[in-house]
Amino acid sequence: MRAYRAKRDSKPRVADKYNILGFISSGTYGRVYKAQSRDTEGKIHAIKKFKPDKEGDVITYTGISQSAIREIALNREISHENVVALKEVILEDKSIYMVFDYAEHDFLQLIHHHSQTLRTSISLPVLKSLTFQLLNGLLYLHACHIIHRDLKPANILITANGVVKIGDLGLARLTYSPLQALYTGDKVVVTIWYRAPELLLGAKHYNKAIDIWAVGCVVAELASLRPIFKGEEAKLDSKKNVPFQKDQMLKIFEISGTPDEREWPRLKDMPEYQNMRRLDTYPNRLRDWCTNKMKSQLGYEFLKETFIYDPDKRLTAEAALKHGWFHEDPTPTANAFHTLQPPQCPPARRITHDDAPSMMPQPTQAQATQNVAQATQVHALSMSHSMSAKSMSGAGSVGTGAGTGGAAGNAAAGGRVRKKARAG
Amino acid sequence: MATDFWASSQYKRWIVDRATLKRARAEDLYYAGDPEVLDLFNIFFANVISKLGKKLGFRQRVTATATVFFRRFYLKNSYCETDPFMVIAACCYVAAKAEESPVHIKNVVTEARLLFGGEEYGGIKSFPSDNSKLAEMEFYLVDDLECDLVVFHPYRTLLALCGKESASSAAVAAAVVEAEAGELGTGVDDGPRYWGTGEGKLELQETALQTAWLIINDTFRSDLCLLYPPHMIGIAAIYLTLVFHAPTYTSIRSQSQGASNSQPPSQPQSAQSTPSNPRRSSRSSSSQPKKPSQDVVGFMAGLNVNMEVIASIAQEIISLYTLWDRYNEDGHDGSARTAISAHTSARGTKRAAGGIARSGSVASGGTTTSRSGTPDSHVPAVVTPQYLTKLLIQMREAKMRDMAHPESGRPQAYDKRLGRTQNA
Repeated sequence: MRAYRAKRDSKPRVADKYNILGFISSGTYGRVYKAQSRDTEGKIHAIKKFKPDKEGDVITYTGISQSAIREIALNREISHENVVALKEVILEDKSIYMVFDYAEHDFLQLIHHHSQTLRTSISLPVLKSLTFQLLNGLLYLHACHIIHRDLKPANILITANGVVKIGDLGLARLTYSPLQALYTGDKVVVTIWYRAPELLLGAKHYNKAIDIWAVGCVVAELASLRPIFKGEEAKLDSKKNVPFQKDQMLKIFEISGTPDEREWPRLKDMPEYQNMRRLDTYPNRLRDWCTNKMKSQLGYEFLKETFIYDPDKRLTAEAALKHGWFHEDPTPTANAFHTLQPPQCPPARRITHDDAPSMMPQPTQAQATQNVAQATQVHALSMSHSMSAKSMSGAGSVGTGAGTGGAAGNAAAGGRVRKKARAG
Repeated sequence: MATDFWASSQYKRWIVDRATLKRARAEDLYYAGDPEVLDLFNIFFANVISKLGKKLGFRQRVTATATVFFRRFYLKNSYCETDPFMVIAACCYVAAKAEESPVHIKNVVTEARLLFGGEEYGGIKSFPSDNSKLAEMEFYLVDDLECDLVVFHPYRTLLALCGKESASSAAVAAAVVEAEAGELGTGVDDGPRYWGTGEGKLELQETALQTAWLIINDTFRSDLCLLYPPHMIGIAAIYLTLVFHAPTYTSIRSQSQGASNSQPPSQPQSAQSTPSNPRRSSRSSSSQPKKPSQDVVGFMAGLNVNMEVIASIAQEIISLYTLWDRYNEDGHDGSARTAISAHTSARGTKRAAGGIARSGSVASGGTTTSRSGTPDSHVPAVVTPQYLTKLLIQMREAKMRDMAHPESGRPQAYDKRLGRTQNA
């Protein structure tokens, strides 16, 4: 094994290939950096560094997380215009670095830009283009038998050229002949505000339709600049049982009405059916909600069909792309920002200095016994301004606005700063 | 991706030619001395993986994935430079995650220690109890696998092409195939499918389906999974089943005799085809109207694959069985080998092989040639796990000596062989 290790350590390192420009965001998974390739092309990338599972003074190998394995395995197989592209994966010093193509914006940032800075709604051509491209990427994933399971504004990126890129496959799963039920692997999927009713009702089996529900929520959020179903998440109890998400369920009912068995025959088989029956009943007032927001009858119908309670009747990605809404003016454009004047475009992603300098290479065993500071300095990246041996525990404590069962975090470029602003 | 093998990492990066394979084993060949030993190592290591997989409660597909990872890893590394037992444990650990049925690292370490500490592998250094050692190996392994963790297997082809003959739900038994065939769609509700309806499938008797499944298991004892696309291996397994599964063969024979007078080169042993053929009874209980008999030959001919390649894969599987007879491991190994070996030895291996290679264009593969070139090797006629483990250690020690004293030059291969026989 010694010979093998020696051979491995001669491989090029992250710092040899990329110049770290700044820190973008962090989450449960680790941290994301903006970086420039050191080759002649000098392309910009987002580097996602997975946090080692255990944190302490000495980082040891603890096994690669299921989430990282998924994201890596799936990203290595897929390639689509509307899915964020993985350039390479570098494994060094007990850390995994995923190098993605850089995307300047994301849906959450765009929403924030419109609600806080411009104080105007997102224009219909932009809204429709973004939705179309999102569905186009999703159709590809679904055709590959991948369910994303964590679609939300922060996970959907947009390049400077207005091209949508679906990101963060950390919770995504291949569903082709699974060896065990999807539920067995992950008890809770999808951030609460975007979680489909069948999941809220405790369904053990579910399918791609959960992504379509999330798309509906995302489109509604683009149209209104705030989450359409903004419920409070009930936390897991001490035995880690998944509670009934009463408040989230009510938020959906208030707009989409209480479902009944005529529209959803299998409703009564849902584990949480009895809990649901105890809730007040509401009429469907989605049309009212859409009046000033979706701006057309077809727009309302589009949203209505993504919010069909019965997952088997809900729009599919394929059917959604053929929806009449995309055929009436304004039609979607390849560059979602095509119609915008420069001042209206969302600003570039903010990058900061890293307050937990984890992009500094960890000292190797041999170096650790020597003068640590000296040894590390050689490899120090331009942005690493501190020599502190501070562990990464600071990075991990960032709570996501709505829990996702711990496995998922933000997108390759989701933001902590924005998240906080949003919660307030 | 899960649908398109031709767009997969497996097709793009991990189907190699024999020259690559030979290059990958060059160093091991140098220290082992005899190319046939390397083929025996292939059987040995696959058996170890299979055993560890059983201890960990793996489904067949997980074990298969672990084996493919192991073979891929050794396209880039040599046995004598690494610890194959550690690699095996890491392959199992990663495969479980890649196939979405994870096991805890502690379990892998515990089971590996128990298994590898056994007498069978007497002489190997005890497996480290420290989880981080396995996690470190996992890290290196994933890197050497280039993060390509999605693997296609021939089982899928088998289940796509062949169905159980008039399967009644009552016949759902605890048979191997039954349990594994259930993998198709465990808890998945993926909406309507155009495939999987059973339309146009080749209907096989349950025991025949099982034979095909076991043949596929056996192919992982060789390098076939690196040389050919999985669907080709799957079809070769179906082909061998049609020939070697006596009742199936008999029924095909009687059909083709009725249809035409073209005679296969050899007559089958009719001892196993009893008058109370289960095929008949199950058919009569079938409620669905069915064609009186399937055109099996037509079905095979209708597969849009190169039959010469299929024949040469089949040939290699038979060569594997011949070699396997020289490998002695205690206990029943549950392969299709026993049945087929009995069959071939009754008719004479050479003739059976000739009978299978009906196309006549099957040139003996590289492995067959190299085997015939080593009749005077010092490898014993029957090889045991103990022998191979010991040989592995000797190879590693020799390699280490050479690395420690590079200036003295490498010792002659002849000396090593001599030394080995003296030790044996």
